[in-house]
Amino acid sequence: MNLERIPNEEKLGLSRRYYLGGFAFLPFLWLVNVLWFFREAFLKPTYTEQPQIKSYVKKSALGLIVWVAVLTTWITIFQHFRAQWGEVGDYLSFTIPLGTA
Amino acid sequence: KNCVSGGPAPDENSSMSRVMCVSAAAGVLSSSVEQKIYVELNETVPCVRLLNATHQIGCQSSISGDTGVLHVLETESDLDWILSSGPHPPYMVIMETAFFNRSVMMRMKNSSRVAGVAVIVSKTGLADNFSPHTTCPNQNTGVYSASYGSDLANCNVTMWNPLGNGLSYEDFAFPVFALKDENQTQVIRKCYQDHNLRVNGSAPQYPLCAMQLFSHMHAATDTVTCMRRTDLQNRFSINPEVLCDPLSDFNVWTSTRPLNNSAKGHAANESVVIAATRLDGRSFFWEQAPSAEGTVSGIVTLLATIQALSPVTQEAPPPRNIFFSFFQGEAFDYIGSSKMVYDMERNDFVIDLNNVHSMLEIGQVGLRRGRSLWMHSDPRKLSLFSHPSVSQPLPPSSFQRFLRVRGIPGLVLADHNTSFNNRYYESLYDDAENLNVTYPPDLSPDEQLVYETDAAKSLAEVATLVARSLYIQAGGEKKNLNNITADPKIWFLHQHVSDCVRLLWFLGSGPPQFYIGLGPRIHGPVHSVTRFVQYILANLTGTVTNLTESQCQNPSEVNTENKDLFSYFWVSGPASVNNTGEPFCRSASVRLSKAVSPAFELLEYGSPNYSIIPQSRWKSIRARIFPMLTLGVGVAVLLLSLLVTYFISSKAELLFSSARETPATTY
Repeated sequence: MNLERIPNEEKLGLSRRYYLGGFAFLPFLWLVNVLWFFREAFLKPTYTEQPQIKSYVKKSALGLIVWVAVLTTWITIFQHFRAQWGEVGDYLSFTIPLGTA
Repeated sequence: KNCVSGGPAPDENSSMSRVMCVSAAAGVLSSSVEQKIYVELNETVPCVRLLNATHQIGCQSSISGDTGVLHVLETESDLDWILSSGPHPPYMVIMETAFFNRSVMMRMKNSSRVAGVAVIVSKTGLADNFSPHTTCPNQNTGVYSASYGSDLANCNVTMWNPLGNGLSYEDFAFPVFALKDENQTQVIRKCYQDHNLRVNGSAPQYPLCAMQLFSHMHAATDTVTCMRRTDLQNRFSINPEVLCDPLSDFNVWTSTRPLNNSAKGHAANESVVIAATRLDGRSFFWEQAPSAEGTVSGIVTLLATIQALSPVTQEAPPPRNIFFSFFQGEAFDYIGSSKMVYDMERNDFVIDLNNVHSMLEIGQVGLRRGRSLWMHSDPRKLSLFSHPSVSQPLPPSSFQRFLRVRGIPGLVLADHNTSFNNRYYESLYDDAENLNVTYPPDLSPDEQLVYETDAAKSLAEVATLVARSLYIQAGGEKKNLNNITADPKIWFLHQHVSDCVRLLWFLGSGPPQFYIGLGPRIHGPVHSVTRFVQYILANLTGTVTNLTESQCQNPSEVNTENKDLFSYFWVSGPASVNNTGEPFCRSASVRLSKAVSPAFELLEYGSPNYSIIPQSRWKSIRARIFPMLTLGVGVAVLLLSLLVTYFISSKAELLFSSARETPATTY
């Protein structure tokens, strides 16, 4: 979808939907929101809806950073300690690599 | 090649056939390219991974195989080259026999420059002794523990296998294969000499000869983990992967008076003398266990005993029954005997422990010094002989599992007083040569079968002794003893099969291997050696019946036959001059009983009381050698091909301008 060709109210509506949708444990919606609307929010000349779009993009970016931090921490811990956790590690795993601890 | 044949064809057909021609040619070319690069090594034997309650033992490779530059380990300087100074690590070590010992293997294990080891199995350069087993076999699952005979436990008094280096119980992170075929070893050596030899101390240049070994094992850590993961896979996965299997097979048993197989538990009015031996062995490598002194000496002696006793027990039966048993899996913490004792305790076997009067076990009896034979008993119990002069524990034997549960009087016969005489205990080299089985050089294989070697005569002596002792122990009369003698010609287990036995389809060429394995095998549900002993026993103790084939398979329909007391075998007769080898039905009181550790039935995978040794599963095991080129050559080829592709695509109209006009018809 080309953002050039849709009216500003629709752009605002899109950004809001992506922002709200991300709260349903969908951080990729926030990622898309940030990447897609970044130019609209910060690089285009000002128009009426822009401050609201800017706030949605900023809040999405914040949420995204929190998610990335949490996921990175958990993945690091799991990869490092899964073998040591023995039974708990096996029950938490979806696939267990063959032949290694 | 045969694509450009035939006359002109209609347009559609010719372009179609042209397409098929090109793809067929491409198919043929691609498989031969692989054959031009890789030489598959078929006659190799891997070392696989086994688990126990706390450790993993054996060898593991990466999932896509381990590759290394070949280097033959013949001298000490080769060892330095591999471990520190060679410029092309990691190396794939081709190890001469003399270097396959604990110190070298431990150095390989601790080095990061070794990708794998291929051991040349031969007698040249073999050390005076080599036993990869532990020094105190089965020390935690015998009868001596902290609560019973703690001063005798853990080989405090006698180290049974002092030459053991424990290699079979180490964990290697690289694959170790055995090269058994001399011709294949020559191919590998030639590849090494052509490409990898050092010239005047300087490093060899690329292309080098490399080898790749695949033996990726699924199991890891220990038995509890492996069985838990298998369980999780079976419950939650769409395509379950089994990670490991418990070692299992069958014990073989028979008795002089048939026992009712469908009546489990205590057998009324039966007092039984058990004569037992083991049926299995192991070595460092998978499914290799020639086990001549360790196992075959006992099996042959017990078979000769049974043959010697069968006429007398028919004519003058002793008051007590004699129960002969061949236990499978004893190398791995007494799998077979612990299962039989467990079944007896739970009244799930034809007799129970109250029926057992005494027990005589035949241990390793092949390497007697002179004419001596030693009888071992448990110093804690009242033994058959009331003057124990030395307080020495029992050697590792199935009898210990019976003693754990009930104080049955018993003896273990062996050719050794203190430590084993066997210098190659549980190794690849415990073969006929270890038993000094030699023939005069001019005998044909058939003549060799009936030739009485010294080893055969020695074992026949032991068998005569055992048979007579068993007869007396069973309450038989002394006057019949002189009729009991064993025949030295029973010694054929080590040779290629005779006509009669050849009909048992499973035995291939080479000596039989006694590793317990996993039960279902290529040639049938039962291990070949187990089947072998079963059929030989049926031959020795059974009677010929005149049932037809269908009656033989369903004997309950015939009222003269009793399926509870006998089992029925449809066998082919011996082929000879006046006998065409017609098949017939033989009935014998020989049975198989399942030999799998009770821990796997009780689902107690960490149990210290029973054997918990499963074998890992794997997907593929193979080995291959190929010439290895540098990365630079590969990159150069890539760039060249990109260049050529660019050139062709830019000049495409010029090169492909002779296209025909497209026909109007559709295909």
